[in-house]
Amino acid sequence: MMAETGYGEITTPQTLADAVAAMAGGAVPIAGATWLLRAPLRHEVLPERLMSLRGLADLQVLTIGPRQALLGAMLTHDALAGALVGHPDLAGLATAAGASANPGIRRTATLGGNIGTRGFAASDLVPALLAADATVILATGQGLQSLPLAQHLAGRGDAGLIVRVEVARSPRRAAHARLPMRKAGDYPCAIVSVSADLSSGRIKDIRIAVGAVEATARRWTSLEERLTGTTLDPALAEAAARQLTGDFSARDAVDAPGWYRLSVLPVLLRRAFTQLEV
Amino acid sequence: MPIELTLNGEAITLDIDPRTPLLDVLRDRHGLTGAKAVCREGFCGACTVHIDGQAVPSCLRPIGLLQGCSIVTVEGLAPPGTLNRVQQAFIDHDVVQCGMCFPGMVMTLTDFLDREPTPTRDQIKAALVGNICRCTGYERIIDAVLSLQAEGVA
Repeated sequence: MMAETGYGEITTPQTLADAVAAMAGGAVPIAGATWLLRAPLRHEVLPERLMSLRGLADLQVLTIGPRQALLGAMLTHDALAGALVGHPDLAGLATAAGASANPGIRRTATLGGNIGTRGFAASDLVPALLAADATVILATGQGLQSLPLAQHLAGRGDAGLIVRVEVARSPRRAAHARLPMRKAGDYPCAIVSVSADLSSGRIKDIRIAVGAVEATARRWTSLEERLTGTTLDPALAEAAARQLTGDFSARDAVDAPGWYRLSVLPVLLRRAFTQLEV
Repeated sequence: MPIELTLNGEAITLDIDPRTPLLDVLRDRHGLTGAKAVCREGFCGACTVHIDGQAVPSCLRPIGLLQGCSIVTVEGLAPPGTLNRVQQAFIDHDVVQCGMCFPGMVMTLTDFLDREPTPTRDQIKAALVGNICRCTGYERIIDAVLSLQAEGVA
């Protein structure tokens, strides 16, 4: 179905194959559109050819199974936050989905939009998904493609439509700490997401992801190595983080200068570790 | 293809640029000025409407995504000449000041009370974090909402 209005146009494919074909023809996929409609404020031109994803049932999947969580790209933050309650290994993602922006935006902005929006450094879901070691499933011209989220963010793999995210379940705990300049509404200037196996009493297989500090969220691998094998101690973690903030080249932006983002990172790590203690 | 949707209970058809924000459709084409154009970034909540029963900012919803949706604005919350319970509580508690943010507050709180009929003070505050008011201290707004529970009408 194609609506031609004399200005922009919008297509609403009903199958993944049609969606991929529309993208190949230049249509820009839109989900919640919360980033897209702010294009004029960024002095950007709105794309003329849009593609609504409302007709694609594959993008609405929501399955929290014992071994794997399947999270469709069109799930809103609000829907995610509600679905993930009560799962310790997904608690960081639940916090990210439930604390981002404000309630109205959380009912609109989607998982796929958060991952796919280039230029949005302060996504809450992306660092939480990195800490969860998530895999992105893309619809491409060659069929479905599976790609680790970090590789997708780095621009590797074929371009495609984000269909869903898959997260392997395991007996671990996760947490998410963010610092907006106000208590709510605006973007966080720094984000720390943590996921670790604490079953032995020592930190094992820890994943720490940092968002909003650099242009793209990424893992803090040097800190992961430093904390592996230690006990869960928020103060110790903060001290270790303070020694390693030089690993980041923090961005200066209107909400905060780079040095400030770096200065709050250790505190956010402590807060995330404190959440893990509960 | 025209965009068909329901606006305050009335079926309408639009033949416009699908990228047009719902907010502009409401204000410029239908004269529904209750939704206010303030930040246009989804931060202030002054343009909040109900889309399929959910309170969301209308500034960030392109009309092309709303095919088949039901839109309710503050003008359509209650029959003409009447007020809904939140609007009435705002008047009873003398809450309204300049009025710029209040239509959005009413839309947010009406949806919120439908989901959470007996909220705590903190829950009301959390529900309102996306509705910014530069006049009040918010507390009387919250008192007004809590009064609905006390009266057993929430």
